[in-house]
Amino acid sequence: MLATVLGAGLLGSASASTLVVAQNFDPQTLWPNGTTASDNLNAGSAIVEALFWVNPDGEVFSPLLATGYELENDTTVLVRLREGVRFSNGEPMNADAVIHSFNVFVDTAQTPAYARVSDPFQSIERVDDLTVRITLKYPYPPIELALSQLYITPPGYWNEVGLQAYGLHPIGTGPFVFDSWSRDDQLVMLPNPDYWGEAPDGVTRLVWRPVPDDIARSAGLTTGEYDIATSLPVTAALEIDANPDLSLVAVPSYRIYQIILSSLEAHPSPLHDVRVRQALNHAIDKDAIIENLLFGYGVPLRGQVLREPQLGFNPDLEDYAYDPALARQMLAEAGYPNGFTIDFKFPSGRYAQDREISEAVAGMLAEVGVQVNMIVLEPGEFLRQLRASELWPMAYVGLAPQDDPDLQVSQYHSTWRYSYIHNAELDRLIDAGRQEMNIEARAAIYRDAMTLMHEQAPIIFLFGGVDFYGVSNRVSNYTARGDGRFFFYGVSVTE
Amino acid sequence: MLRYVARRLLMTLPVFVGILLISFLLTHLSGDPTDLLLTPDTPDAVREEFRRQHGLDQPIWVQFYNFSIRAVQGDFGNSLRFNQPAVELVFERLGATAELAIAAMLLAIAVGIPAGVVAAYRRNTPVDLSVRAVTLFGLAVPSFYLGVIFIVVFAVWLRWLPTGGRGTWMHLVLPATVLAVDQLALIARTTRSCMLDVLNQDYVRTARSKGLGEGWVTWGHALRNAFIPVVTVIGLQFGILLGGVVVTETVFSWPGVGRLAVQAIYARDFPVVQATVMLFAVIFVVVNLIVDIIYALLDPRIGYK
Repeated sequence: MLATVLGAGLLGSASASTLVVAQNFDPQTLWPNGTTASDNLNAGSAIVEALFWVNPDGEVFSPLLATGYELENDTTVLVRLREGVRFSNGEPMNADAVIHSFNVFVDTAQTPAYARVSDPFQSIERVDDLTVRITLKYPYPPIELALSQLYITPPGYWNEVGLQAYGLHPIGTGPFVFDSWSRDDQLVMLPNPDYWGEAPDGVTRLVWRPVPDDIARSAGLTTGEYDIATSLPVTAALEIDANPDLSLVAVPSYRIYQIILSSLEAHPSPLHDVRVRQALNHAIDKDAIIENLLFGYGVPLRGQVLREPQLGFNPDLEDYAYDPALARQMLAEAGYPNGFTIDFKFPSGRYAQDREISEAVAGMLAEVGVQVNMIVLEPGEFLRQLRASELWPMAYVGLAPQDDPDLQVSQYHSTWRYSYIHNAELDRLIDAGRQEMNIEARAAIYRDAMTLMHEQAPIIFLFGGVDFYGVSNRVSNYTARGDGRFFFYGVSVTE
Repeated sequence: MLRYVARRLLMTLPVFVGILLISFLLTHLSGDPTDLLLTPDTPDAVREEFRRQHGLDQPIWVQFYNFSIRAVQGDFGNSLRFNQPAVELVFERLGATAELAIAAMLLAIAVGIPAGVVAAYRRNTPVDLSVRAVTLFGLAVPSFYLGVIFIVVFAVWLRWLPTGGRGTWMHLVLPATVLAVDQLALIARTTRSCMLDVLNQDYVRTARSKGLGEGWVTWGHALRNAFIPVVTVIGLQFGILLGGVVVTETVFSWPGVGRLAVQAIYARDFPVVQATVMLFAVIFVVVNLIVDIIYALLDPRIGYK
């Protein structure tokens, strides 16, 4: 009886017209170019839109506030804007708004988190009210990726309130408008009545709730307090999958898990011998790790860092087979018949199951005679060591650069801050790929780079992660991207 | 009395200086926030500019000097994550934390003291044993674990209460109870042992022999004297309660200062960590001062010298 009375009053918080999304954190700012954290971007981009977007469904690059772009030559891009779009305060979305937003975007004092993405942009000029010409400093093949991150803000309002206030109360062109925000508690948005596109169907109120505890987030989804819960742990994912009222959305992540095997001169260790690095690749049973620690939710890397749908993925490469006997034999040939002892660093609490996976890796290495000293690092210290190139000789990392082969492979360029390999041929291929505007030629370059990396084995190729979202059955067409981003275009909510 | 309070306040100054120094050093020695706030692929020039903007490029003693000068004026600088004054962020959330902490304390006192009194009167009976068993459990179970258990039982299975957040009184029940359990247990156990002690005193026997009713003996004579150590415990526990807030607020998505502090610590958001630590220190000192004053009210023998 008590349950019924209390329950009736409170469990209606995710009602027919209200869509409640539980994320890990409250946004720091709702201006999407203010940070690169997905919790911020997901909320902010419901209000503020970019020129283009990458649709999670099939990862298709599509126009949003722009209608298209064309390359006039390798370093000038003509962008055509959508006609008749207005910001929710009535300002027109036109060339002036794009020029204003561009100038903020390339000013790294205002957008430090986007410094690398905005680097190729040189300048912008107005062609007419609905066309702008962007000049690049150098030919930049991932231009679509850069254009999809330039968010358009209304110049009048921006100049009136400034960057910080804009982030707390943004005005944009998106399907939702800002309503209220009680920090760390709930952020409320309402549908934009004048939205230029197709508004999400059936949503009269969009509420964002920050719920840092994994168990509380999935519990709230189960009780119906939330319609969408993000960043769920794999254990909660299994429960949600079994619940008939909920659906589990499992999205292959852009995060690539690997074990650094440093061969830099400054980092002396047996890993300088390529045979040792290859042997260690044969020593790890990644399928067993995925099956037992990740409950099957992981995508084994096929001996390369690019994912199968990506440009430059090399389908001819065979993965290193799990073969401890071969690993031992290769170690013996390299002069280590009895193995060796080596330091192995890993974070605890940075990635899903990081400690467990690292322990499993250590156990498998011990099977082939490689004894590791386990050095566990707090996530903050782990990131510092990563950046300072101190994660040597061996470390477990999950790298999630933006979704372009150049940004992925550049991390192994000898000039990269935390590259743990120095290979002139690989550098040459990365440099060539970075400037090649022809897609086919570019793909061929990266296929060669994958082959070289496979042979050189600068890492133990482990797996790509999987992100979990729990979604109420009353939400349709919800999907997310491998970088933790999701949108409401095409999403509908029913009773 | 006023002189006593003024002197007590003056004595807290060195405490605050010590807290400033420790909170500054602990946060700065634990790593560089730029690594956590900017992506690893951020160019060096941009990274340096970020450090310059936030004064992180200065030698540490210069940073401490600047920090101290501003801190005494109540200015802890801008949060590195939110780009807003840290003090503003903390005060925005103070109401929620106060609501939770006060509810928990009231609950702990309202249940803990009667439970302790009853246990003392029914010494070694099943009532006493169950109070002792329950309070021992309360002291032993960590609050993050108890919080999760409460969510699963009362929110998911029984569907009586929400899993988290702030809003109605129902949102307050689970976090306040979890936060109260520790305090409640200690208050009940202290009350019980003090009552046992006091019940054997001559003046209690005298009160009874005067023909006073048992209720008057308990609440008017015994409890008043047993209260002095209990008040100390309550005062000291308030500090522990503030520590518990940090965990409880995170588990129950309570929008308070504790949760802000946890996120600030993970992100090395120094200004917010320092503002929070300072605020908690001030609260702790003030509560202790109040406890000292209540002492004197309860026991006239305690003077202000």
